[in-house]
Amino acid sequence: MIREFVALTRRELLRLGRNPGAILTSLLLPVLYLILFGQAFNLQNLGGGRVDPAYFLAAFRGAPSYFSYFAAGMTGFVSVTATLFIGANVIFDRLFGILKRTAATPAPAASIFGARLVAGSIQPIGLAFLVLGLSVLLGRLGLSGLEITASVSPLGAVEIVLAVVVLSAMFAALFLAIGFSLEQPQSYFAVVNTINLPVLLTSAALYPWGTMPPWFQSVASFNPITLAVDVLRENLFAGARSFYPYGPEVYLLGLLAWAGAMFVVAGLLARRALAPRR
Amino acid sequence: MLESAIRVAHLSKTYNGKVRAVEDVSFSVLPGEAFGFLGPNGAGKTTTVSMLTAGLIPTSGRAVVDGVDVFRDPAAIQQRIGIVFQESTADPDLTGRENLELAAALFRVPRAESRPRIASLLDRLQIGDAAHRLVKTYSGGMRRRLELAVGIIHAPRVLFLDEPTLGLDPQGRAGFWQYVRELRKDHGMTIFVTTHYLDEADAICERLAIIDHGRLVAMGTPSELKDRLGGDVVTVWTARSDAPVAAVLSAVPGVVSVTRQEEAYRVKAPRGESLIPLLVDACTRAGIGLTGVSLKRPSLDEVFLEFTGREFREDEGATATDRAVRIGQVREAFGRGRR
Repeated sequence: MIREFVALTRRELLRLGRNPGAILTSLLLPVLYLILFGQAFNLQNLGGGRVDPAYFLAAFRGAPSYFSYFAAGMTGFVSVTATLFIGANVIFDRLFGILKRTAATPAPAASIFGARLVAGSIQPIGLAFLVLGLSVLLGRLGLSGLEITASVSPLGAVEIVLAVVVLSAMFAALFLAIGFSLEQPQSYFAVVNTINLPVLLTSAALYPWGTMPPWFQSVASFNPITLAVDVLRENLFAGARSFYPYGPEVYLLGLLAWAGAMFVVAGLLARRALAPRR
Repeated sequence: MLESAIRVAHLSKTYNGKVRAVEDVSFSVLPGEAFGFLGPNGAGKTTTVSMLTAGLIPTSGRAVVDGVDVFRDPAAIQQRIGIVFQESTADPDLTGRENLELAAALFRVPRAESRPRIASLLDRLQIGDAAHRLVKTYSGGMRRRLELAVGIIHAPRVLFLDEPTLGLDPQGRAGFWQYVRELRKDHGMTIFVTTHYLDEADAICERLAIIDHGRLVAMGTPSELKDRLGGDVVTVWTARSDAPVAAVLSAVPGVVSVTRQEEAYRVKAPRGESLIPLLVDACTRAGIGLTGVSLKRPSLDEVFLEFTGREFREDEGATATDRAVRIGQVREAFGRGRR
């Protein structure tokens, strides 16, 4: 099982490396958000400097600016855009007969599914840090940029990486589940487009926490993007912990629960798709 | 040694409770035999192959391949069999070598064996020079050869080929079968092939089954099947049309029937080649001068027509006139409406 898993993961990574277009496409949406939305939607300019900075600090849960708050959100959102094509690959592999070929080998369904999941979760890590780096760079260029006000501890850095990896794995599993369930690319993109926006819009990636109505805060606090982004924000901004009811490890656990549930669902759907047809 | 490499008993597949794709199909394939499965489009060939290769669960029936019940232990079956699908299944974004390395890992070919085997297959199937190129740059013939290499990377005991040369030019087809023959000679594997090309089936297969509307309608060696058509046709041209040629020819032992066709007489007999001297002798003794004699053996096209009532879809080589003549011949041999 390990040998098959390693061989299939290598295949996924080789393909990924040979299709840089997919990587660039994954970056496009978050980068556009950073250089357009993030620059234009500069919330602390509201009030013309007459608003108490403490109000903004509370609204942005310890982030020194809206852009800083929002840049952490976009780092989480990369996990969605960078895993989106994973499920589409399943559909194209089915159309091109590659999935049929793989299913006709004795390789266990778990290694076929696991390889796609792992390869799909690796790529967003690099992209997430690219988005973080770009956000910092924008500030250095005189635009609105990300200011990391905390000194990130090694544990904090591990938590940040884990949050990105687990969130990516969760979305990779979600998109794999959809890919293994549908046969046509157009159905896949229709479903994925229907899911993406609500997932982003019910999270705390974009909106300042303090301006949300309480009911929305309740909804957003269960959103996996929020859980991951909270881990980032608590670690990146000095004093942020006082604005959160729980430490980052609790949000990581919540994220793991989401991912675990998604792995089970996607794994079952993959096994069904790879089993002999009825 | 196993009695049968493939044993199929009362295999049926019904889709959605109403579409009967395969109905009560039974047959056996001997170890080392090349067995052909012929049938028009939608006859149930691919459905049968899918069931025998553990890709599709039958509605009823049993299939044992290389001593293992296909539907009880799909993973054990997959390890024992090789499949060459009718469509290309190699990953176009990987090189030929990477595709083979992946297949070797998925079939758990020991690492010490996989490297020399991949090198030998690449060399033998003449894709060695392109081994480092992405498969999406390969020609159709190279892709087919790579499919064959992927199908046999684990040295399977039974190889299933589902219309493996579809879309190849005659040269590509000939080359492909040449490799299959060589591999078979070296490894002695059993071959189960479905093909649209009757000349291929005739040349490769020791036995054939014809499937139509999901049912087996005929089975036997290519020559047995052809013999069932009533044998060869010897056409005799004479200088004189007023002589009792038909009576003279009919009296020759072994002649099944004689029919006149304009200036010629068509003599039907099981073994035409040994009949020709006798026919010439009889005519000479009766004082009938011959201007020409030809021998035609029935082809699988005619066998197919006889058992399915229609011609093969992809009978590429034949012109419309050829087909009309052959249909006429077969109808004549069996009487109209006889099936």
